[in-house]
Amino acid sequence: MTQVAHAPAHAHEAPRPPRGLRRLTAPGFLRVAWVMPLFFGIGLGLVVLVRWAAGWHPLLKSTPLLTVELVTVPLGFLVGIGGFDYWAYYASGRATRPEDHSGHGARSWRDYFRVNTDHKVIGIQYVVTTIFFFMVGGLLAMLFRAELAQPGDQFFNPQTFNVLVSNHAALMIFLFVIPAFAGLGNYVIPLMLGAADMAFPRLNALSFWLLPIAGVILLAGMVTPGGGPSAGWTCYAPLCSHQPLGQVFFNMGVQWAGASSIMTALNFLVTIITMRAPGMTFWRMPLLVWANFTTSLLVVIATPFIAGSQFFVMFDRVLHTNFFEPAGGGYVLGYQHIFWFYSHPAVYIMMLPGFGIISEVIAVMSRKPVFGYRLMALSLMAILVLGFSVWAHHMFVAGMAGWLRVPMMVTSMVIAVPTGIKIFSWLATMWEGRLHFTTPMLFALGFLSMFVIGGLSGIYLASVPIDIHASDTYFIVAHIHYVLFGGSVFTIFAGIYYWFPKMTGRMYDERLGKLHFWLTFVGFNLTFFPMHYLGLQGMPRRVADYAHRFADINLFVSIASFGLGASTLVFLYNMASSWAHGPAAEANPWRALTLEWQVSSPPPIFNFDEIPQVVGHPYEYGVPGARHAIFGATHPEPVGAD
Amino acid sequence: MRRGSIIQLVLIGLVAGAIGTAVALLVPWLPTAAGKEADRIHFVYWFTTAIAIAVFSVVTAVLGYSILKFRAAPDDFEDGPPIHGHTTLEIVWTAIPAVLVTAISIVSAVVLAENGKAGPDPLLVKVTAQQFAWSFTYPNGRTYGSLTLEKGRSAKLDITSNDVIHSFWVPELSQKQDAVPGQHNTIVVTPTRTGTFPVICTELCGLGHAIMRSHVDILSQADYAKWVSQGGTASGPPGLAVFQQNGCGGCHTFTPAQASGKVGPDLDKLKQEAAKANRGSLDRFVQESIVNPSAYLEPGYPDAMPKIFGQQIPKAQLAQLVQYLVQGAR
Repeated sequence: MTQVAHAPAHAHEAPRPPRGLRRLTAPGFLRVAWVMPLFFGIGLGLVVLVRWAAGWHPLLKSTPLLTVELVTVPLGFLVGIGGFDYWAYYASGRATRPEDHSGHGARSWRDYFRVNTDHKVIGIQYVVTTIFFFMVGGLLAMLFRAELAQPGDQFFNPQTFNVLVSNHAALMIFLFVIPAFAGLGNYVIPLMLGAADMAFPRLNALSFWLLPIAGVILLAGMVTPGGGPSAGWTCYAPLCSHQPLGQVFFNMGVQWAGASSIMTALNFLVTIITMRAPGMTFWRMPLLVWANFTTSLLVVIATPFIAGSQFFVMFDRVLHTNFFEPAGGGYVLGYQHIFWFYSHPAVYIMMLPGFGIISEVIAVMSRKPVFGYRLMALSLMAILVLGFSVWAHHMFVAGMAGWLRVPMMVTSMVIAVPTGIKIFSWLATMWEGRLHFTTPMLFALGFLSMFVIGGLSGIYLASVPIDIHASDTYFIVAHIHYVLFGGSVFTIFAGIYYWFPKMTGRMYDERLGKLHFWLTFVGFNLTFFPMHYLGLQGMPRRVADYAHRFADINLFVSIASFGLGASTLVFLYNMASSWAHGPAAEANPWRALTLEWQVSSPPPIFNFDEIPQVVGHPYEYGVPGARHAIFGATHPEPVGAD
Repeated sequence: MRRGSIIQLVLIGLVAGAIGTAVALLVPWLPTAAGKEADRIHFVYWFTTAIAIAVFSVVTAVLGYSILKFRAAPDDFEDGPPIHGHTTLEIVWTAIPAVLVTAISIVSAVVLAENGKAGPDPLLVKVTAQQFAWSFTYPNGRTYGSLTLEKGRSAKLDITSNDVIHSFWVPELSQKQDAVPGQHNTIVVTPTRTGTFPVICTELCGLGHAIMRSHVDILSQADYAKWVSQGGTASGPPGLAVFQQNGCGGCHTFTPAQASGKVGPDLDKLKQEAAKANRGSLDRFVQESIVNPSAYLEPGYPDAMPKIFGQQIPKAQLAQLVQYLVQGAR
């Protein structure tokens, strides 16, 4: 299929600002200010009406009211900010405003606080928002590491401690790692494909605005009177259904983040399938696009399961159903099966896009083609398929059917094979290359070494007998941080540094970037490596207090974690100061072949002033005269003519 | 490749392997095993560790060599050789990891099957978890707040929970099993050395999760026989046994019972608190607080006490417990 970029015939000027009363009805925060209370009233009315009709007393009860309000108030916010305007006009039969592209591009910082349909603006909105939640999540971690610096109670009671631990994980997973990849993908994928934008720009804008909603809900849960969500990010039933009121914030916050994730994934899938430039066959796509293609399939198939698990557990609480209540004949382990059927694939949702980033960075910085390109793409697909057959390895000690353990162990072990293929292929890509140790490359190499350790500890945990010993201990905490910090977070940093010149049109400070890498790399290992020992020796996870013999190592870990936290300040300073005053970036500072580097930095408003004609593979470094794409072809060749 | 570079590559790999081996051997990673099952699990651990060190060495060798040898100068604008792949190599690095993980899987599956088998005449103990205490019921119907096992004799632990999910773990015995409400899960442990080891809850179960601890005493054959004939360590007032069986000490501090829980109100200050609450006589207040804990909440404490004790504790025992608490209160 051929997608023609919009001809930039008309000027794209900012829409005239509305005046007078119009300012109250035009999309924006002024409209939010009165629509949100209106929707609060609607929610209140609904609850009172239903309870009055059913004869329940009292008419106002906190749990049902909160549950309904966490649907209606965010909807009010989205209506106010203008997330539904176009569809509302269309559905009500009024003339839709002709697309004047006024929602494209950002002219000032204010445009980032509006509903914007430009994938480049949305990508930056995503990345900045997720970095904010990364900081908040990290701060929570440092708070409970302060508590854990000594055995006994120091600063927080057990309830607060459990809230901090639960929300640290929830924010890092649902509001940092997953959406940060969605943000980078949002910016880069249409450019890499040679498309003018995503397939559904308005849906794209909506999926971004769901994200701050989810974040605010999770944060609001923490300060709920009676205690915030404290059942861990896994929120196991039946503990989760018997928690204080704040737990509802967790159940609903996850729904908003999940909905955002699904919408973005659908958008990626349709964009990748239908909007590739002429000549861009699947086997000519950069591996980052392949990675996001497989990730999006995972998201679309798996995410509804966590939505289901959170709804069921919330129904048990609010509607007094018995999905997971043993007293009422519910199936307790059913929760874990449904939850992990999402949350294991979610590990790959948090890892595959990073694999894509690393493939780009290593090929470009080694000046060599990606080794075994097709096998790299196929191993992504293998991980996608296998990823759905391993969920119960999180439940080896849960008391599930005994026969399920060995098959789940075997599939979990087998996943090491495609993952190994990727590691070895990256190493082979570097072999005999000409390595440039820029900041993105350092983070890529940091990822490679840390992910090997995380992968190896994963083999231990896939083995049922070792997992029986190590499950639910600090060994698990160490493992997931080697995979999700040494893995995902390092790749996110690599991606941010790599595309920073493209996104902002400015160069970051290389020396500060390297400093940030080394501080993070050392701080990370000092923080998380000793946790392997703590866990195997007998320290369980999620405890506010622990045996005295672990005191010294915990103090060491806490101090290291503060250092790790502080390293982020270098990153923030570098990003902020370089974005404001960094030297102007060239169009292609890395001498890369992929399409996003063939346009200016930052790219033109519709990405390509001329439709690129893709004529070759994306990583033909060292091949004399090889081109990935040419511009200005007279007769663009259709996709499929490889 | 030149011969010199192969030697360098192997050298880096050997250094990495030596460091990996030193870290694996010099740090006491695992607690000293106290059971047959733990011995087998430790074997799987060391088997996997050997493979892990080998993989780590190979990766480090290639990575280290590349970083040292293939560094480009900043003004080097050349590209590397356009190598797109190598089919044999790709088959090799698909096949070898597949063989390695198959080997680990086989060893693990065998050990898992072995660890499920109990020796002759196993001791049957019912393990009940509740927020935030363990109780252990023996075939003779007696219930204790800690576990006592006989060295050399397998024990089958039938594990369940009264409220939310907990998890039973003794690091030295390695075996771990979730306690799931409405479900009975069994594990086998066969102690091989005497001593006292901690019983730890490893599944987040609420406010008192961190202090949901008990211990296991592994006794020699003679000592165990003595313990059985004495009917366990049930000395002291009858109310103390009720206090321990129901795990009150998991949440409450109470000096006469040597309990130091901090989740719930301090029972040493029971008299003061009763005066503040002003809900009738001390006896009545104590009984009401056990049977219907939500009736009065001490300021600063959440409504977290399980509401099951009214049904769980028989009337006679409840009276003993109330008497015990009232007498011990200051």
